[in-house]
Amino acid sequence: MMGRTIFIDPGRCIGCRACVSACRECDSHRGTSLIHLDLSDEGHSAASLPTVCMHCEDPVAPCAEVCPADAILVTPDGVVQQADPTRCIGCSNCVNACPFGVPVVDTRARLQMKCDLCYDRTAHGLAPMCATVCPTGALFYGTLEELRAERPGVRVADSFAFGDVVLRTGVATVVPADKVDWPVPGGLPVVEVNGVDVP
Amino acid sequence: MSDPQAEARADVSGGIPGEQPAQARAGAPPAGDAPAGALPAGDAPSPASLRASSVATAVSLLLVLAIVLGSRVLRNFDAALLPYAVATVFLAFGVAYRYMLWLSAPASRCLLRQARRGVFFRVRALFSRASLSRARHPLRTAARQRARAETRATARAGGTAQAPAFTAQAPAFTAQAPAFTAQAPAITAQAPAFTAQAPAITAQEPVFRERPRARRIAHQLLLWGSALAVLITFPLTWGWISFTATSAAGPGYELRVWGYRLAGFDALSIPGWALFHALDLAAVLVIAGAGYFLWRRMRDRGALTGQRFAYDLVPLLALIVVAVTGLLLTFSSLVLRGGGYEFLALLHMASVVFALIYLPFGKFFHVVQRPAATGMRRAAHPAAPAAQDGAAVLVCRRCEEPIGAASAIEDLRTTMRELDLGFDEWAEYCPRCKRQLRGAAYLTQVKKGYV
Repeated sequence: MMGRTIFIDPGRCIGCRACVSACRECDSHRGTSLIHLDLSDEGHSAASLPTVCMHCEDPVAPCAEVCPADAILVTPDGVVQQADPTRCIGCSNCVNACPFGVPVVDTRARLQMKCDLCYDRTAHGLAPMCATVCPTGALFYGTLEELRAERPGVRVADSFAFGDVVLRTGVATVVPADKVDWPVPGGLPVVEVNGVDVP
Repeated sequence: MSDPQAEARADVSGGIPGEQPAQARAGAPPAGDAPAGALPAGDAPSPASLRASSVATAVSLLLVLAIVLGSRVLRNFDAALLPYAVATVFLAFGVAYRYMLWLSAPASRCLLRQARRGVFFRVRALFSRASLSRARHPLRTAARQRARAETRATARAGGTAQAPAFTAQAPAFTAQAPAFTAQAPAITAQAPAFTAQAPAITAQEPVFRERPRARRIAHQLLLWGSALAVLITFPLTWGWISFTATSAAGPGYELRVWGYRLAGFDALSIPGWALFHALDLAAVLVIAGAGYFLWRRMRDRGALTGQRFAYDLVPLLALIVVAVTGLLLTFSSLVLRGGGYEFLALLHMASVVFALIYLPFGKFFHVVQRPAATGMRRAAHPAAPAAQDGAAVLVCRRCEEPIGAASAIEDLRTTMRELDLGFDEWAEYCPRCKRQLRGAAYLTQVKKGYV
């Protein structure tokens, strides 16, 4: 987990889409929103989940590893940048390899785009656009100490399980105290019953 | 992450800020920004590195041989241009070495397979029965297609009752046929023009098709300015082309290629003047293009984000220095009667040698890498013609939305397994379903009923 990063608390998200609107303001992809807001159990639950790039640390950025054009660079502080437009060939490898479903490809321009933690802002100590406008604190930007100063006793996890593989990320997720010691399930269905995936 | 840019600046190694593609970080051969040959001290070179070195050495030796033979055993070789020629040999080594290392990474190998498949689809489509039939009877096929389109339009409009009316018009269409036939030679005559445009379209189309017009024009200026300069100077420095005076009094000159006389011209005529000043024209094109991009990099907030001096600005500055010092040589000879020429020539040579040796390691390498996008168009995306041509499209296992060409996804899964990314099965789900399944898992297993 990075020192100063985003902490996602899905329990606080009310699905207001303020983050989706604010994301369009980011200078590195002005006019295009790259944060995803999904309803986990539409029709039955009000639960919603905001998804920013998780900036995978170990293994380092699967999207960048499968990039055939070396277009996705990782900064020394662990931020996985969106594809360099002079290198990206729009092959969609990163889109399909990302376990969190983050990158998108503009098929007309043949360019990949993804959340880069608002590097134009975070590089200068400012919070990313989404965390700046989130009214409920579902997206918090800062250090773990700053988060705990606001929310005493909060516990976070920075690893996800996809089948047998555990992925450590730069962005962390808020979890209940009894779930800290094991990775957050990534959602990959591991059992198939009568042709239907069972999580 | 208090000041990442400061950290990036502090972590400069090999002239490039510390950002590295993950392929290099994950233990694969260093194929990214970092100088490819920089191996950690004490480590034995990897097989990929050795193979790349061998191929690069062979390419360099071949170039040296081509220089010797092309210059008629150095008879036409201009010794004053020796540093340039040596720099091109280093350039050939660097490009070949980096290219081989790039292709040795699992993801790049996969790309090569896809590109080959893309070419296969194109060739197959070109020689398909329908294509050959179109080529044999272009007008008949066009008329048939037009008739089909009209029939479809009629059917859509619910106009089956109008069919007799169209049938009645048929003789009129038939009467037009000779007119079409008369146009055929004109259409055929256009073919070479289209063929000639193809490389230009191919070079630019995948790169800037959806970019703002100013960037497209600036890139064209930069591309053609650089291409013109390369096409003139490389053969000159290799001694492949030479100019010889036909008489001591002048002004007649002969252009010789590999020692063979290609054309004679008057140095004082307009074509002669243009030929001798083509590099000045190239310099103007390059300065216009690179100047625009430099200006944009100073102003555009998107471009400023994550911009790196060594990677993004140095190439532009290098091109501008090369072009300006080149123009100053002409200025010196025309206006200053050769004043300062020797110093300017040295400055120009140093800037050119730097630019050539830098090429394999920085942004210039996209000239070699980027054309892969043309193969990619057919291979990977679900909307790609390859998929439409009949190649299987993989759909999401959950929502059944198309993800991509099945072969491309299979290649990706193979690549992921080679990279020890053990969740390759996940590639068969669309991004939206991945996110929804993760949200559902959080809802049911982590924070049950969290709302």
